[in-house]
Amino acid sequence: MDTATLDLARLEFAVTASIHFLFVAFTLGVATLVALVQTRATVTGSPLHWRMTRYWGQLYVINYAVGIVTGLVMELQLGLNWSGLGHFSGNVFGSLLAMETLTAFFLESTFLGLWIFGWGRMNRWLHLGLIWGIVLTAYASAFWIMLSNGFLQNPVGSRVVDGVLRLTDASAVFTNASALVALGHLMGGALLTGGLVFAGVSAWQLRGARHGDEVVYATSLKWGLRVALPALPVTAWMGVTHFDVLEATQPMKSALLGDSAEQALLQGQLAAQYGPDQYVPSSIGTIAAYLMMFCWVLMLLVTLVGLAGRRVRLRLLTLALPLPFIALLAGWVFRETGRQPWVVYGLLKTGDALSPMSPLALRTSLVVFTGLFVFLGVVNYWLLARFARRGPDGSALGVTSADPAASIPHPTF
Amino acid sequence: MEVVAVAVLAFFALGYLILGGADIGTGMMLPYLGRTDQERRLVLTGIAPFFLANEVWLVATIGLLAGAFPELEAVVVHDLYVPFTLLLFGWVVRDMGLWLRGRVDRRAWRAVADVAVFTASWCMALGWGALIGAVLGGPSLIGMAAAAVLFGLHGLAFSALRLTGVLRRRAELGLPGAAARFLLTSAAVAVIGILAGARLEPAGMAADRASLAFLLPPTLAVLPVLMAAQAWMWWMFRHRVTRPSYL
Repeated sequence: MDTATLDLARLEFAVTASIHFLFVAFTLGVATLVALVQTRATVTGSPLHWRMTRYWGQLYVINYAVGIVTGLVMELQLGLNWSGLGHFSGNVFGSLLAMETLTAFFLESTFLGLWIFGWGRMNRWLHLGLIWGIVLTAYASAFWIMLSNGFLQNPVGSRVVDGVLRLTDASAVFTNASALVALGHLMGGALLTGGLVFAGVSAWQLRGARHGDEVVYATSLKWGLRVALPALPVTAWMGVTHFDVLEATQPMKSALLGDSAEQALLQGQLAAQYGPDQYVPSSIGTIAAYLMMFCWVLMLLVTLVGLAGRRVRLRLLTLALPLPFIALLAGWVFRETGRQPWVVYGLLKTGDALSPMSPLALRTSLVVFTGLFVFLGVVNYWLLARFARRGPDGSALGVTSADPAASIPHPTF
Repeated sequence: MEVVAVAVLAFFALGYLILGGADIGTGMMLPYLGRTDQERRLVLTGIAPFFLANEVWLVATIGLLAGAFPELEAVVVHDLYVPFTLLLFGWVVRDMGLWLRGRVDRRAWRAVADVAVFTASWCMALGWGALIGAVLGGPSLIGMAAAAVLFGLHGLAFSALRLTGVLRRRAELGLPGAAARFLLTSAAVAVIGILAGARLEPAGMAADRASLAFLLPPTLAVLPVLMAAQAWMWWMFRHRVTRPSYL
């Protein structure tokens, strides 16, 4: 397979996975906060918290819809473009992906339909149970996906038989540090994202000084910062811990943050072990790792200033909105480019996983899906901003009036 | 163990074709069933609570293919690159049309969403027709035409069970017995699905026993929970549509 086709296929996957992950991070974090707010609303019956639930729930649902379709394309792309991966590691990697669809995503979507369309049509405790069901199945999804990704990074519990991986020890797959520590890092990052989305959007609204809803935004801002603050050290702690895992499993990736002499030494060792090849990954991983840490420092400062309650905090929190997303994508770029040239570390090279396909088919699908996703990303951002600006009364969730006209959201501008 | 794996795969695949086929068919008939903006909103309300929970049957099918039949996935997905891409493209566009239609209160926006749902539903039906036609070894045009007719009739029968008034009469095509017709089209969809599935001979392409032993017990254990959640949803939204919902 020529390198141009390989690069195109990698680019297509990187674009799909990155765009998908923006939605995933938002979903994991914001859904958790929506569930917490709805719990408060259900227990106390407070109208303020019901308004918060509908406001943030609407943003969550808009985001989720676009997240699903990008996820579908990503899952099918593994089969379409990377059939070598399925052929070689389908027994283990494929099983983990299957567990995600069956034990997590299937339920999450069924619950979400019930939560959206059943709003006001069932017992409120049952409805509360649904949002928690959504949150827990979303976490379960993250667990299975990180087990699959962690397996590719560090293929434990299996051995190669007749050129194909066989599962030998399921417990090793479940206790894979490359998966579990990364999952902790990612969940910390997702909660940080949710917290900063709550705080940032609220700060943006408070600066606009809309009348009547200030208390919704002020309360949301407080909730957001209270989730972001503990998420910051957890994320950093898991990230630092993960470097110990890398030392043991992927020394070259951790050497990306070291000096070139160390990289040259590892290059020699890996070439001796696996045959000649380029084992020093692209320096884009190094840049991404430092960018991620830099964003973390900025997020820490903004959160502290936000909690200190200075006047400047509203502007800072608004400006900080992109930071968690940049940090998460940079983290993935480091994790995924840093393991190249391997797709299954030490066992299968990325170039050997590519499907035999015509460059034309690949180029067409790259252009079509990238174009579609960029378009959907822009539409999603526009809709989120629009509904964020509209405030709690603009939410179409839980509108149960018998009058059809009343269930159509009225534009405010 | 391979037999159990094939049975579970068939269960999810047929479940998708019957349930998802009904909402695809409804989308294909959208301009016929709903002549005005408000009518089309009601037609879509008929499938609104279900379409997300229907398409996860297909996601589960693909997951099972990847996990329990990795070789088969490579054959099916890769050899049928073009129809699969068509299907996937239709899936994305259709979902976006459905989810985003009601989010902007402008006639032009809803018109674009309606066109997206309508064309993408056709795109998906034709994609399925081409796929199943290719698997059965027939000319893909015949497969596409058959899928369009079958999904269309299936969607009309489903809509006749979901809608009221003039919309219901349009969906009934002047014929009585919508429930019986829905069962009939469901059976036809299932038979074609089984024929195509048998042609693929999945049993010989199952993953090795260790993987199946890892995957199947938890799958069978959660299956009652999945079905209970689906049953709850269908029960919750069993009433005919009289007014629009979230979409």
